[in-house]
Amino acid sequence: MFRKVLIANRGEIAVRVMRTLREMGISTVAVYSDADRTSLHVRMADEAEHIGPSPSEESYLSIDRVLDAARKHGADAIHPGYGFLSENADFAAACEDAGLVFIGPSVQSIRMMGSKTAARQTAIAAGAPVVPGTDHGVTLEEARAFADTNGYPVLLKAVAGGGGKGMRRVDRAAGLESALRDAASEAGRAFRSPEIYVERLIEQPRHIEIQLLGDRHGNMVHLGERECSLQRRHQKVMEECPSPLVAQYPEMRRTMGEAAIRAARAAGYYNAGTVEFLVDRDRRFYFLEMNTRLQVEHPVTELVTGLDLVKLQVEIAAGARLPFTQEQVAWRGWAIECRIYAEDPYNNFLPFPGKLTRLRRPLGPGVRLDGCVYDGWTVPMEYDPLLAKLAVWADTREDSTARMIRALREYDVAGIRTNIGFFRQILEDAEFRRGNLHTGFIEEFFARTSAPQPPQDLAAVAALAAAVHSLARNRAADAGPAAASSSAWRESGRSGLLR
Amino acid sequence: MKLALRINGAEDRIELLSPAPHCRFRLGDGPERSAHVEAPETGVYSVLLDGRSYDASVEETAGGLVVAIDGFRFEIAVRDPRRWSRQAGARGSGGVETVAAPMPGKVVRVLVSPGDTVEAGQGLLVVEAMKMQNELKATRAGRILTVGAKEGATVSAGEILATIE
Repeated sequence: MFRKVLIANRGEIAVRVMRTLREMGISTVAVYSDADRTSLHVRMADEAEHIGPSPSEESYLSIDRVLDAARKHGADAIHPGYGFLSENADFAAACEDAGLVFIGPSVQSIRMMGSKTAARQTAIAAGAPVVPGTDHGVTLEEARAFADTNGYPVLLKAVAGGGGKGMRRVDRAAGLESALRDAASEAGRAFRSPEIYVERLIEQPRHIEIQLLGDRHGNMVHLGERECSLQRRHQKVMEECPSPLVAQYPEMRRTMGEAAIRAARAAGYYNAGTVEFLVDRDRRFYFLEMNTRLQVEHPVTELVTGLDLVKLQVEIAAGARLPFTQEQVAWRGWAIECRIYAEDPYNNFLPFPGKLTRLRRPLGPGVRLDGCVYDGWTVPMEYDPLLAKLAVWADTREDSTARMIRALREYDVAGIRTNIGFFRQILEDAEFRRGNLHTGFIEEFFARTSAPQPPQDLAAVAALAAAVHSLARNRAADAGPAAASSSAWRESGRSGLLR
Repeated sequence: MKLALRINGAEDRIELLSPAPHCRFRLGDGPERSAHVEAPETGVYSVLLDGRSYDASVEETAGGLVVAIDGFRFEIAVRDPRRWSRQAGARGSGGVETVAAPMPGKVVRVLVSPGDTVEAGQGLLVVEAMKMQNELKATRAGRILTVGAKEGATVSAGEILATIE
């Protein structure tokens, strides 16, 4: 087993990985940019190394600097987390060249699954169903020919893409040319490749994915599905296991699981990975892509299977065999995860970095919080606005929903805006309760609902609190310049000056 | 003690007849009510009103106070008429429109200069945070009076970035 592992990441996932490594008795090395000197992953690690300025191209995405840090600290393996270098085949190769174990799949598997079109071809060869589409980047003529043959609407997607960048829906032939131009220019900026391919558009699809785990000895199992249909800007915000649809049609877990395993095996896959499917309204499923790393939303799978995916990743990377068979995988209860973002859901989900002036975390039965924030921390504006993942477990979907609402009510973050209140609205929604989910759910939700009205008396309480607060502050200010400083005000506010 | 309030944009007033913790108060023209108010944590007020318990967190921002209770946010500006002289004249003189940063971030582009004539909806500045760019647009036609930020500057939410006359 490894003695020391470097985590080539930041934020909540670096903290998540370190927790397991610590439980396994493995030393941890953090890397950090200028913006992250006081971030939790640095404070928590056994060792830490500065790897450059705040822009991620010069720090977390710099293969050389990450490897230098690993050599300097004598790490034997690197866990890449998700994002950053996690799906970069060159990085995985550079780790192997430097004599470090890359905790993930082989370089070859990353290459086969990294390009969306190459992944599609692998899936087709393995007999997994795919959405009808071109298997390569297209010219305008090719796109037009595909749409004429297969019918509108179609979806344009970036060959090198992800996260909705370079994606366009086209409903009519007239809109194809400009949509293709926009998509190509966006893809060019985001991925340095303007190549676009075309797919038939699935209306109101669900996004359901299968968690896979394989060892280096040819064993592979699936750990069931995750429902990830709730998205904004093509990014997931809430996930569940089981999927409400699969719970209704349990045979889907086996058929999707087997299709995922076939596709992954075709790429010689090992370690943890996820195959994403779109599911149409007739419950037909289509291979979308494979993520060759740990997923953000892995905790819901851990909660219902009782497994620690990071621990299994590390053991597999060290050469261990899978410690269980497919038949031994059991699912119990229902887990839901909300991604808590520093953003304003009522202003187009615009990011909202800044200093946390107060933080109260949800606790109590069935609550798991994977976060990277603390009271007084300034959320850097350079990175993804994910603050924490709040996951709950209960016996049924109904109980899990109630538990999540309860936990969100306990969650209090001041100083920045978050989507905590928005999740409560979604969880109360009748359509959500019925499990009628699809990737356009949030957009539709905004169209058919209005902002929630506060219960009676809440405005009166708010006015009273504001008045009491202002008076106490004015009194502190009047008491002189020393007392007017913020710390003096805080002290006096506490000790009864508000009387 | 009478205070003028603006709650989520609507004018109101509150009269505090007795101070915390045993508050008696009147909101607008409503009846006199009583509540018990304590501050167990910095910026957090525990309010007991008609037998119900509320936890109100008060946050000071550039635009005034933000009070959050049970997930609901109230933006509240409090004015003490007796302190009018100190607080008046801050902003809001007729005919001048301010454009504030909707989120904290970095100014990546400044598209106008003082003296420029702009149309309603015309882009003025671009603010970026967490890889998302947001173009701030003129809320009405007019002439740019001031531009308060340079390219590359870091701004906080609510900060005035431009004024239009």
